[in-house]
Amino acid sequence: MIDAVERVTGRIRFSQDASLPGMLHAAAVRSVVPHGRIARIDTAAALEVPGVVAVVTGEDLRRLPGLRPVYGPQIEDQPVVALDCVRYVGDIVALVAAETLQAAQEAAALVAVECEELPAVFDPLEALEPSAPLLHELEPERPHEGTALYFGIRPQFGTNCCNLFRIRRGDVARGFAEADLVIEETFRTPAIQHVAMEPHAALALWEDGRLTVWSGTQTPFNTRQILAEIFGLPVERVRVIVPPMGGSYGCKVFPRIEPQAALLAYVTGRPVKFVLRRDEEFVTLTRHATVVTIRLGLTRDGRITAKEVRAYWNTGAYADCGPDVARKGGFGIVGPYRIPHVAVDSRCVYTNLPPAGAFRGYAVTQAAWASESMMDIAADALGLDPLEFRLRNLLRDGETFATGETLHDVHFAECLERAAAAIGWEGPWRHELGDGRVRAKGLAVVLKGMTTPSRSEAKVGIDRSGRVTVYSSTVELGQGARTVLAQLAAEALGVPYQEIRVVDPDTARTPFDNRTTSSRSTYMMGNAVRQAALALRERLLRIAAERLEVEQADLELMDGSVRVAGAPASALKFGELVEASRQEALVEHGEFRNQGGLDPDTGQGIASSHWHQGAGAVEVEVDTRTGKVTILHAHASVYAGQVVNRHTAELQNLGNIVFGLGSALFEELVYEQGQLVNPNLSDYLIPSFLDLPERMTHDLVERPGAEIHGLGETALPTIPAAVGNAVARAIGARVTELPLTPERVLRAIRARGGERG
Amino acid sequence: MAEFAVVEPGSVAEVLDLLARYGEEAKLVAGGTWVTLVLRQGLLWPSLLVSLRRVSELAGIAVDEAGNLRLGAMARLRSVETLPLVRERLPVVAETCRQVANVRVRHQATVGGNLCDADYASDPPALLAALGARVVAVSQRGRREIAARDFIVGHYQTVLEPDELVTEVVVPALPPEVGAVYLKYRTRSHEDRPCLGVAAVVVPDRDGRLARAEVVVGAVAERPQRLPEVLEGVAGRALDDATIAEIAERYAAGIEPLSDLRGSAWYRTEMIRVFVERALRVARQRARWEGGRS
Ligand SMILES: Cc1cc2nc3c(=O)[nH]c(=O)nc-3n(C[C@H](O)[C@H](O)[C@H](O)COP(=O)(O)OP(=O)(O)OC[C@H]3O[C@@H](n4cnc5c(N)ncnc54)[C@H](O)[C@@H]3O)c2cc1C
Repeated sequence: MIDAVERVTGRIRFSQDASLPGMLHAAAVRSVVPHGRIARIDTAAALEVPGVVAVVTGEDLRRLPGLRPVYGPQIEDQPVVALDCVRYVGDIVALVAAETLQAAQEAAALVAVECEELPAVFDPLEALEPSAPLLHELEPERPHEGTALYFGIRPQFGTNCCNLFRIRRGDVARGFAEADLVIEETFRTPAIQHVAMEPHAALALWEDGRLTVWSGTQTPFNTRQILAEIFGLPVERVRVIVPPMGGSYGCKVFPRIEPQAALLAYVTGRPVKFVLRRDEEFVTLTRHATVVTIRLGLTRDGRITAKEVRAYWNTGAYADCGPDVARKGGFGIVGPYRIPHVAVDSRCVYTNLPPAGAFRGYAVTQAAWASESMMDIAADALGLDPLEFRLRNLLRDGETFATGETLHDVHFAECLERAAAAIGWEGPWRHELGDGRVRAKGLAVVLKGMTTPSRSEAKVGIDRSGRVTVYSSTVELGQGARTVLAQLAAEALGVPYQEIRVVDPDTARTPFDNRTTSSRSTYMMGNAVRQAALALRERLLRIAAERLEVEQADLELMDGSVRVAGAPASALKFGELVEASRQEALVEHGEFRNQGGLDPDTGQGIASSHWHQGAGAVEVEVDTRTGKVTILHAHASVYAGQVVNRHTAELQNLGNIVFGLGSALFEELVYEQGQLVNPNLSDYLIPSFLDLPERMTHDLVERPGAEIHGLGETALPTIPAAVGNAVARAIGARVTELPLTPERVLRAIRARGGERG
Repeated sequence: MAEFAVVEPGSVAEVLDLLARYGEEAKLVAGGTWVTLVLRQGLLWPSLLVSLRRVSELAGIAVDEAGNLRLGAMARLRSVETLPLVRERLPVVAETCRQVANVRVRHQATVGGNLCDADYASDPPALLAALGARVVAVSQRGRREIAARDFIVGHYQTVLEPDELVTEVVVPALPPEVGAVYLKYRTRSHEDRPCLGVAAVVVPDRDGRLARAEVVVGAVAERPQRLPEVLEGVAGRALDDATIAEIAERYAAGIEPLSDLRGSAWYRTEMIRVFVERALRVARQRARWEGGRS
């Protein structure tokens, strides 16, 4: 990585390190009830605390002229500060700005909030009952105003469903009628948290009616847009600068604390910094808990005739990007299979829990948990090898997916076969070691879409010193974006990538990009950078050809100069060429788009301009006396198309395996009446190095001449599903709910009538 | 966080003086890994933090003439884990400390702090109880020794008075024929606190029978659990699989476990049975057993 030395010597200035002279510190007052009407807020004691400059409540917010107090990327349902209602334990009721963080936090603790409690609902199925309390009154006239909407949204008005995404392909009734066997099962996953090492951090500054925000966000342009709307400004008067981040995994997708920091800065006229504490992180964004029911029609010879899915995504108190999660999960849950009759109803549902949003794997982890578990149940019911059963049904090149789109560059079977071979699938799938210990193997294969439609732009420039600079709004969050983009520019220009400067995203300096999400950046932004770099190369060649009075075709780029091929003496340095053009710098622009979209009522169209494809395989050992699962070997095979940087690509695969095993074995947010029971890292555990499998292997499946395929998330969703399948094989019983805690596994063993003490 | 002063006295006498003067207003800080958490959560409002960092007389680890291992209250768990002296004399003590938390915490956390925070989900207390260790507490009123098994009395509660300081923990030597083990069982990450931990010590007599057994189960209730009636009942018997199974069964039946995120009460009962049995088997294997192993 180009910033490796800065990183390990602690010289990178992360979002959390941003500071300005005269800056105030923010703290939030949060709701302690899951649902309530605010009766009274007493800020007097808080304002007495020395150093406190402002305490802002919903009432203050409403009194500020020209402000739009509610925002949201897809549905505008989230107040900057609670207006009349609180909707979850952790909802922001008031904001404090003070000279010191300590004063701000002390004052926040002194704000007295009186609430009339309202009935609350936590389960998505209960939330859809007619008697359930409504969290929001969505209106048909203004159902969805969010600016990050690139798809049709279908709220069910008068209910807590904020989006219903459907796929209707073929006729499932006919498909089930044609089946020899119909099976049905329900699967669940819990909410979990991203636990990025660096918490959310933002610094807001107002100057002459312009707002500048430094923030660790994966979405600088969406954040700029939303801030402009809140404060009634043209977007040019809002600037979002993104320093490198200490991790995100989706938790910093869309504004999360920027509106609050900006509001306090607006009210106080001073720069305001807002950094969340770890316990606040836990109630700020989570991964959607899900309930998914699948019905599958099968023929005796192992074909799938029909698939019917009802999926419920618990999005918590605010929609955030839940509507899109329900949509992407809605087609992800079909799986990479050839199924003539498909019906999916995927619902995003409000409840009185912390909001859920983007999370590495984006809906596919939950989708694969259900659909890939179901594939093994089906194989068992048919008495088929789960590998063979999948291979018979996997989509091949040129076949049609449930959305009606034809898939190209298809490698599901290859990924799956490689993964299976890596763990020795041909050997016994299960064997007993004695003493109640059993080993078994499991597989899973997934497809994952990439944001479609979307757009990335980049600029690449050379100044008079010959220095190459890449201007890109792709965010560095530890994945190595700067390195990979520098490499792609370097390749086109014939300079070492280590010498290329990559400018941090800054909406005033770096061109537009949708966002750094959905594993799209190396492909989308990579292509934009490559285009810009190639245009720049052309320009350099043109100028050099003129100066050297030779044909462009006779020239080559080498070590920061252009020369007649094979004639080092003729070399003109890049800087000289810039000077010769009488410019300060030569800058070229590149743009890359993908096109498509789905009809929200039928799910037909183009879901993804190309597909992320991967398979996972694991061998586990289960102690059937305790239910404890140990992963002995985990392997991920991921389609990469063309690898740009082998080292960072490998780290993505390995990181995804680690993430996946946390989800598989123990990560779970536990709520009691809406109150999070484990908002800290002693009670909420993530994998440590000692939790890694004895063997962790992977491969990057490449094809000469292929497009770059993103792989920041692909391996993750395969792991929990593969572990679940291996455990089911080991114990002869199915655990349908994540995580696979020893207690759940032991209960499943006992329910089957197995092993006792 | 609360406003407080911090002092760093250099001797036990100074510490005792401060404790006598400030009483419950003062809070001792050993490794600080627990104190910091509760301060930050606003669960503790002391006016004075008394750091033991500079009290070097508390940091020793030694073996006395009688062969007892003396662990200073300020000995870091990581030192206990790695010191050859401990590994040779009482490997089970090193083995237990190695299983606490993670290496970062162990570098900081101390023997005294671990006992005194009296968290139900800790590892060393069960082992120290099973080994018959004694906790030495001093105050300006005098010095007393408390059996480790009586030291923790409830959730975050010990028998200590506010003016008392733990100076050391004395672990008696184990005769070579004795078998001792601590099994920690985690249900989540490897860095987790225990779902339960079982310390087992078996002492064979000359005829290859069980002279004495100690079994203490940690992390299942508010304090480490020891069932004297079960232990007394098996003395003099052969330590065969049947006896082991019986002890395990009676421990499972005799303890009323709590529920937490690491396991429900039902699950803990099941695991007490499994791990008491496993611990006793390992202890038997480690003991120099002469027959009686049918
Ligand atoms: C992330 C994490 C994971 C952990 N996991 C485990 C685990 O798996 N197993 C386990 O056993 N433990 C675990 N612990 C607990 C840890 O091992 C320490 O025992 C504990 O945090 C306290 O040790 P300390 O020395 O830091 O004590 P401190 O925090 O300094 O003090 C703890 C308490 O003891 C009092 N005290 C300290 N020394 C004395 C003394 N000499 N005399 C009288 N009172 C005293 C203090 O006043 C305070 O009340 C974990 C802790 C953390 C933070």
